[in-house]
Amino acid sequence: MGITALIVFIASMGMLLVRNVTHTVWLLAVEGVALSVMVFLSRPITLEQTVIGLVTIFIKAGVIPFTMNRVTLTWPQAYRTDRPLPWWGYLAGIALVLSVTHIIHLLSPVGIIHHRDLFFYGLASIYLGLLQMISRRHVLSQVGSLIAVENALVILAASVAGQLPMFMEFGMLIDLLVAVVILSWISRLVHHQFNTTDVTVMRFLRR
Amino acid sequence: MVILAGLGPIGVMALVVAGNRLMPKWLPIMIAVWVTIVWIATGLYFYHDITHGKWYMWLLLLVDLIAAGSAWDSIWWIREHQTIKRLRYYVWWAFFWLALIIIATAGNLVLAWLAIEFSTLASGALIVEMGHRRALEAAWKYIVVASVGMLMAIIGIVFLYASLQFEHMGWNTLDYSNLHAHYLAISPIVRKMATILIVCGIGTKAGLVPFHTWLPDAHSVAPSPVSGLLSGILLGVSLVTIQHFVAAVPLSSHVFLSGQHLLLLFGILSVVVGTLALLVQKDIKRMLAYSSIEQVGIMAIGFGIGTPFAQEAVIWQLVFHAIIKSGLFYISGHLSVRYHSIHLPQMSNMFQRHRGLAVTWATFIIALAGLPPLGLAYSEWMILYGLWSSHLWVILALLSLSLILGFAALMHHLLGGMWGRTNQPEDLVGIAVTGGVSHE
Repeated sequence: MGITALIVFIASMGMLLVRNVTHTVWLLAVEGVALSVMVFLSRPITLEQTVIGLVTIFIKAGVIPFTMNRVTLTWPQAYRTDRPLPWWGYLAGIALVLSVTHIIHLLSPVGIIHHRDLFFYGLASIYLGLLQMISRRHVLSQVGSLIAVENALVILAASVAGQLPMFMEFGMLIDLLVAVVILSWISRLVHHQFNTTDVTVMRFLRR
Repeated sequence: MVILAGLGPIGVMALVVAGNRLMPKWLPIMIAVWVTIVWIATGLYFYHDITHGKWYMWLLLLVDLIAAGSAWDSIWWIREHQTIKRLRYYVWWAFFWLALIIIATAGNLVLAWLAIEFSTLASGALIVEMGHRRALEAAWKYIVVASVGMLMAIIGIVFLYASLQFEHMGWNTLDYSNLHAHYLAISPIVRKMATILIVCGIGTKAGLVPFHTWLPDAHSVAPSPVSGLLSGILLGVSLVTIQHFVAAVPLSSHVFLSGQHLLLLFGILSVVVGTLALLVQKDIKRMLAYSSIEQVGIMAIGFGIGTPFAQEAVIWQLVFHAIIKSGLFYISGHLSVRYHSIHLPQMSNMFQRHRGLAVTWATFIIALAGLPPLGLAYSEWMILYGLWSSHLWVILALLSLSLILGFAALMHHLLGGMWGRTNQPEDLVGIAVTGGVSHE
């Protein structure tokens, strides 16, 4: 399980650094596969776990990357590239990841953390996802960051609770699916109406 | 109960599918009649609970009442906006109504979280249906900001669940009653962390300052019947969800940044920012949106005081605000169409030109300003009295000053519109309009 969480963490770092949004979509698919593997690696394997694992791979490694990829394919290459990460993004990223160790130090005496490595990768990936959201300007980078934070949340939950109730897992998966479909629809409209994929430009072009 | 209450929105979806084939012209009217029947049936079915002080039943009745108002206004609004895709509008509208019903009646934190999250998506889609650039930008900002807030909240919820996982109760662990019964089993640091995350996270959806950045844009460009639901209901029921959590998992008021402290802090910030922004607004619906921030701030202060008296005041405030604000949003949409503009300075001489709309607008604005004997005056006085009794002098002073300023701002906008100088070419006034509102 630690390896799969590490893969998600590395993919989150990758998403922060890559500029081509098509690569972001692929990294999300990798995260989706890693999370499904993590579900199947958890013990004991029950029918409930199997269903969650299959639905996870279907939605997170299948439908979501496919939907986002379809959107990017309709755009010329110039619209698939994000601006580079600003210089402060690197510093903030390092500081945020390091701060996770402090939070682990704070929460360890409480006994809520069952798996320190998973907790580290989960919380660090959440931070990186949030950093991606505020430092990146491309519409699909922002959609990707939302999904990345949700993926990281699954790891964080596994580190403190083992597994979440099925109702919660499914609710969050369906919520994510609907969110991505709607945001992809908006992304297409944004490109069509504003002739840009940069969210900061939208503000100035809206009139 | 949620399943029973959910039959209303499901009926709307069935009407959209069947009614559009059989009698497409009558679809909006059929939906409005259906929603009204659901409202009356809800009142009759839950009459016993409603009359015996179960205030979440009042919330359900309120949600259905405002939804009925929204459905009737949609008939008029759709006629004025012929370009709107009716079927999609009603499908998203039904989802939004369903989400509001679930939030209002949920006895479980994670169920409320999911419903709030779905309400964002459904109402975001309704904003996109407007089709213009401002709507796209607003919908984008709304969905992204609200989703980040809700992700923060779910982290807090996961920590709570992890702390009580030993009960092996599945998602029922997060029932408010169960949380309250076993909150002492959750370590104080986890409770504090969860409180900060959940109050800030769901506070984003409640429109509390400083998490409100999406609200003025989203509320001002949404279809007017939807703005009424967003402002009148969604903000209030999101705040009630926060209150349910704060009451279920309390922290001692001596703990720095307890739930009550956060509600008081964000509440007074919302009141001050909302009031100051009210003074300078030029866009009619944006003005109403900032007023909603102010009102939700007053409610947050009431919950933050924490006494039963103050909480009762908040429920009254919520009910009065929902009715008044939804009415104002509905009217503002029609005024915008009449004047071909969303700008307040261009909406002048209202009383002579559109007397019916003007009188209703004026009545609701006066009610919103808190003038007795209209409802908000009493609930606001009750909250002020709650602050006085709890010796929260600084907040009392700031709230009183803000209420005076808010009153002045609303009267300024009202009087300017009623009898101000005409800026509008005569030939534009009174023409039957088909959605040609300028969003410049």
